[in-house]
Amino acid sequence: MPGRQKARLFLCALINTSVPPEKPEKPYIKQPLLVCNRVMEDKLLIWKFRRGSRDALRRIYDKHHGHLLKLAVVLTGNVDAAEDVVQEVFVNFARSADRFGPAGSLKSYLITSTLNCVRNQRRDNKRRKLQSLDKAEHVPSMARRPDQWAVLSEHLERLSKAMTCLPYEQREVITLRMEAKMTLRQIARLQETSVSTVNARYRYGIEKLRSLLNSEVTK
Amino acid sequence: MKSADDIERYFQKSTLSTNSRRHEAVFEKIQRAQDQSKDTAPVLSGPKIRNKIMKSPTIKLATAAVVIAAIALGLLEFIDGGGTSGVVWAEVVSKVEASRGLIVRSTDHSPSNEDEYSITYTSPAYCRKEFYKDGQMIRTAYVDFTDSDTDTLTDVFHIHKLCVSDTFKKSENELFLEWHSDWTNPGFLVQKILSAEHRKLGLKTIEGVLCEGIETTDPAYFGPVPEKFENPQAEFRLWVSVETRYPVMYETKLNAEHQGKVWEKESVMDQFQWDVELDPNIFEPNIPPDYERVHVPDIKER
Repeated sequence: MPGRQKARLFLCALINTSVPPEKPEKPYIKQPLLVCNRVMEDKLLIWKFRRGSRDALRRIYDKHHGHLLKLAVVLTGNVDAAEDVVQEVFVNFARSADRFGPAGSLKSYLITSTLNCVRNQRRDNKRRKLQSLDKAEHVPSMARRPDQWAVLSEHLERLSKAMTCLPYEQREVITLRMEAKMTLRQIARLQETSVSTVNARYRYGIEKLRSLLNSEVTK
Repeated sequence: MKSADDIERYFQKSTLSTNSRRHEAVFEKIQRAQDQSKDTAPVLSGPKIRNKIMKSPTIKLATAAVVIAAIALGLLEFIDGGGTSGVVWAEVVSKVEASRGLIVRSTDHSPSNEDEYSITYTSPAYCRKEFYKDGQMIRTAYVDFTDSDTDTLTDVFHIHKLCVSDTFKKSENELFLEWHSDWTNPGFLVQKILSAEHRKLGLKTIEGVLCEGIETTDPAYFGPVPEKFENPQAEFRLWVSVETRYPVMYETKLNAEHQGKVWEKESVMDQFQWDVELDPNIFEPNIPPDYERVHVPDIKER
């Protein structure tokens, strides 16, 4: 559905009216009821979660764990690290019922939490001078274990490996743009830098990634 | 710059699945964290100071006396329950949820709106919405929620002599908690406004009924807006009868900037009839034989 129509339906849904088709002979047929329900789902989950609902926590977990794991895998290049990150994000979230307000997007909140957690992990690893994530990323831990939470497709393994060859800031920009569908402006706010810098990171990152994945991307 | 579509496609193809045993094990840890969280308290619960006060038998007795007096004076309805929702509002939620059937008028004051007003009939299993213009019904929409997995929408456009039907699988819509709850459902609206940060508006008489109102102005209340809409501003006001504790009026005012222009919407829901027994026949779609029928899954989405 074109974005314009989506937006129109969304806003009409908000004010409790319905929209007749612009061209009745070719109805686009997505009702405000549906559009709005989708939009509202997270809000309802949060509302229940704040009241201590286990069911709501379960649904939030089931709904968001997949894309957060993928995000973390691509950012860290390491399945073990990614699993730790996502688990920590959810544990912190579970403890935050009283602090999590009804405002804001749950998905954005979880994405930002994941991002912060990855950054913290990188910083901690560097500080301890044990095994930096960067080092780990060049030898990605993709070996499959029986108790592994995330099972990566071959594409994701290749993508994750290729991403580790990019500077972290570029990796972050590309991941947030491609996976979280954030705008460059939003990413710039997260990275506390200018849009033009983010744009440059994105451009160089994409070119590098394309060359790394070589013919894979055209398939 | 070359388009990044190829990379985007690669991202989309890059998927992962999860080991179900491990998935459950991780969730157990998360759930334990929730259980152990001492700060997790229901928003509708009273202030913590209440617990401290109640530890003293003397204060307990004195408080009980004051509460009894307050009830006698009818004041309890207006005691704030901890800065979020007071006693009266909690009762509004339960009354609205218990309502068997509801009829409500909705008026949209936006010039772009085709109908002048609509009348919604809602029961736990069905919804019917009639749209009127110049005293004529121009459209009727029916939603059937009775199937456990599929909802059916039938939309009859009388001007175009067109009937559009569609079915929606609940399972394909990302784990709905409240499939029936939407912005056409006043019960849902009551819950929503109470769950948001709101302020009390005091008392006001609406069509001879003494009401108490609350208001929220937080645009986040209705969730994220499409990127093209900027600076969204909103006012939602709910007025509830002091006597019946049922909503009497719900006002919405929204504006946002879209492509350099200011977009505005204002709407009112009023003439509520709560807890009515609705005739099940009104939810049966009435489609005149000369209307063209279109079933959406047969149409390729544009």
